[in-house]
Amino acid sequence: MRALLLLWSLAPLLWQLYSSLVTPEALVDPQAVAAGGFWTLSNYRQLLEADPPFWRHLFNSTVVGAVSTALTLALAIPCAYGLQQQRGSLRFATVLALLAAAIFPTVLLFLPLLQLARSLGLGNQLLALSLPYIALNLPLAVLLLRAAFADLPADLEDAARLEGLHQTARLRHVLLPLLAPALGSTAILVFLFSWNEYPVALTWISRLELLTLPPAIARIAGSSLFTVPYGAFAAATVLGSLPLLLAVLVFQRSIVNGLTQGAVKG
Amino acid sequence: MSTMPSATTGQPFPASGPAQAGGEELRLLGIGRRVAERPLLQELTLTVAPGECLALLGPSGCGKTTTLRLLAGLDPVSQGRILLGNDDITEQPPGSRRVAMVFQSYALYPHLSVLGNLELGLRLRGVPAREREQRIGATLELLQLSELRQRRPAQLSGGQRQRVALARALLRQPRLVLLDEPMSNLDAQLREELRPELRRLLCGNGPPVLYVTHDQQEAIGMADRLAILQNGRLQQVGTARELYERPVNRFVACFLGRPAINLLPQEGGRQLALRPEHLRPSQGEGLAARLLRREWWGAQQLCWLETSRGPLRMLLPSGQQLPDSLQVCWERRDELWFGADGERLEGVW
Amino acid sequence: MKRPWASLLLMLPALALLAVVFLWPLLQVGLLSGQASSVLTGLEPVANGGANWQRLLRDSRFWDDARFTLRFALVSVGLELILGLAIALLLHRPARGRGLLRAVTLLPWALPGTVLALGWRWIYNDPYGPLNALLQALRLPAHGFLTSPASTWLFVVLADVWKCTPFVALLLLAGLQSIPAELEESLRLEGAGRIQILWRLTLPLLTPWITLALVFRMAQALGVFDLVQVLTRGGPAGSTESLALYAYLQAMRFLDFGYSATVVLATFMLVALLTLLGWLLLRRPAPTPAGTRELAR
Repeated sequence: MRALLLLWSLAPLLWQLYSSLVTPEALVDPQAVAAGGFWTLSNYRQLLEADPPFWRHLFNSTVVGAVSTALTLALAIPCAYGLQQQRGSLRFATVLALLAAAIFPTVLLFLPLLQLARSLGLGNQLLALSLPYIALNLPLAVLLLRAAFADLPADLEDAARLEGLHQTARLRHVLLPLLAPALGSTAILVFLFSWNEYPVALTWISRLELLTLPPAIARIAGSSLFTVPYGAFAAATVLGSLPLLLAVLVFQRSIVNGLTQGAVKG
Repeated sequence: MSTMPSATTGQPFPASGPAQAGGEELRLLGIGRRVAERPLLQELTLTVAPGECLALLGPSGCGKTTTLRLLAGLDPVSQGRILLGNDDITEQPPGSRRVAMVFQSYALYPHLSVLGNLELGLRLRGVPAREREQRIGATLELLQLSELRQRRPAQLSGGQRQRVALARALLRQPRLVLLDEPMSNLDAQLREELRPELRRLLCGNGPPVLYVTHDQQEAIGMADRLAILQNGRLQQVGTARELYERPVNRFVACFLGRPAINLLPQEGGRQLALRPEHLRPSQGEGLAARLLRREWWGAQQLCWLETSRGPLRMLLPSGQQLPDSLQVCWERRDELWFGADGERLEGVW
Repeated sequence: MKRPWASLLLMLPALALLAVVFLWPLLQVGLLSGQASSVLTGLEPVANGGANWQRLLRDSRFWDDARFTLRFALVSVGLELILGLAIALLLHRPARGRGLLRAVTLLPWALPGTVLALGWRWIYNDPYGPLNALLQALRLPAHGFLTSPASTWLFVVLADVWKCTPFVALLLLAGLQSIPAELEESLRLEGAGRIQILWRLTLPLLTPWITLALVFRMAQALGVFDLVQVLTRGGPAGSTESLALYAYLQAMRFLDFGYSATVVLATFMLVALLTLLGWLLLRRPAPTPAGTRELAR
């Protein structure tokens, strides 16, 4: 059974890997191995020699992801802390509202966000993408961190208060160090969502060298830049998946904990 | 004006300090707390002398922890004033009251070592490094924690953690010490061993100490006086002996004393209460009783009796023999009478 | 003493940003839907009353897309719940390498939708893709997975199920882990079989998790965009055009912002309605463990 699950999850990805490493001719007809040979790295070379080179998109996505993650956390921490201190109906209403925002399919906001970008002159600027990304990730981040704050023993902060530590000191020296795992999980999830976001990136950026990964892939998919495109498509898929693949494998415990903790308390 | 523990008394408190003899008087004047129309504590008036240890005793929900939190400043007072020495501290924020509290869970910072736990407050208040070292060193010595200074709370036993929590509290040279069921996480044997130790460290020449517990043995062992609370109201305050021999109402009478006091209903809704140790088998006249069961308690035995007026428990030396049917009697002066409202009736014979 | 308004202040920056990015755009969309703003009006908004809405009601493409979107979401989420439960049950049992298996299972969900859609394009390719190669190896005729208007939507569903099931599985796994083991053991002692335990204990206790997964996935699935844009571009013959894609096309290709906003608003109402429905239907409070012992008698 487990093997089946493994196969089901990996098969399409393994197929991409295979496709990216064989010549276009071999891809079409494995039997008739033509003059070009079977295995090749030419698909990757095509991508890396394209204009702009493919790694550029990975770089863009990383930058936007990192900035979004850092700023999201910076805003989410005080919000979650303040929220946890609320009582009763205000807290309940806010949590409900945040939950609704977290579930909301953000693609529906693309039009007014586009107008926002135009009126504020934010189009075609890489870092400007962080702004909507922060906002789109805040609901989830706040919910997760609030749950983490709620998990801390209540006495701890009381003891720190009695020792004369004021709020910033309490956060910095007592609460946040204990929140490290939750901060890690939240950071990874935010990074993940920023990396994978498509509609806003698609509409806010049109200059090729600024494209993040998802719209870049879509552009490759829609173009006829390559002769028989599927080898290059596969290579793009592999390169596009690799960073996240590694991240998931390394941080899987963190990701799973973040999701499940959020669900438990949410 | 030394801040080192006194060699003779082992008290960690400085000879210098506010007011007299290193301690101030704590006065609670009608303090109360209400949350959403529900009164958690009502009109509590108490005085605790410097160095006195007062135990707050009562069933869960009686308001004892609420009182502690009000004194610490962790919760706001709905009515009344709190006076410490010459200062009205009712409105002061917790950080500036110089009140120390040992929490039931000890509330040690899990990510810091023992040293880190003790140091944090001092460091952030700007106490210079040398003085910090000196004070922390002395406190560690006093509580025999010097070897454990690098350990994390998770690596300490319950008793050790309690000592660290105490150390953290005492380091502040507090004007008032509050303890919230500090022994409840420890097993019974350890509790007994630690009691005299705790008393020696806390009660004496220094600040007033308030000790919350639901365990009457502990309260009687630790405290100079007891205050019994029920449903947010003070029932009675006094020495253990006063409360035991002259309880002001039925609740206090039943709360103190193991085995529990006997209650015999009488006409007019009144009740006659008799302590098990005041009953004895009569040679002649008495209340007819049937022996149901005997429990052996080491030096004593607890006898369960059935009488026409209701069940009775009688405490006797364990060697004493008993027939299955007997007469029970007691001294008139050992009788405690309670009215229908639970208040004790004086001069009823 | 605590000052309640101090904590509100802490929440302010985040909530302010959220208001700007969520509430204000929703307002804008509402406004725009009541205006004509397109090439015809020189890209300037001009109030036109309910004209956009009247057009919507008569727009057969809208209703076709709505039907597809609904069908897609219901089937997708349904399959994801069933498959997700199976996977969760599988992952729940202790086994070596469980962490690695979980990580691998998580992969499809973590990768970008456009990347995966691109991959599936080749997998579905007719006649050269691996699926067709498989069919041919089995001496079956090749199938145009993405080229037959009647059945393409199913294969889009498959791609979505492959990507999103891990999320549901994880959620349900968390739920399974929160059920105390003693409950299952006590039922087993009473002679209950595996299916009975599943039906009488596991599923009822799992209800809040199932509801959460359902609501979450439903909302996301109704807004499907990445997948359809890259995999099929809404084809063939618009049979896999989702509402979100339609709104996007109206704005970006036809430059009819007013109408696009109308489509968005209509989609939003659909999402709100269905998620609310799903939540209300399944919102029985989960039985407590004590209550479940009663259930088991």
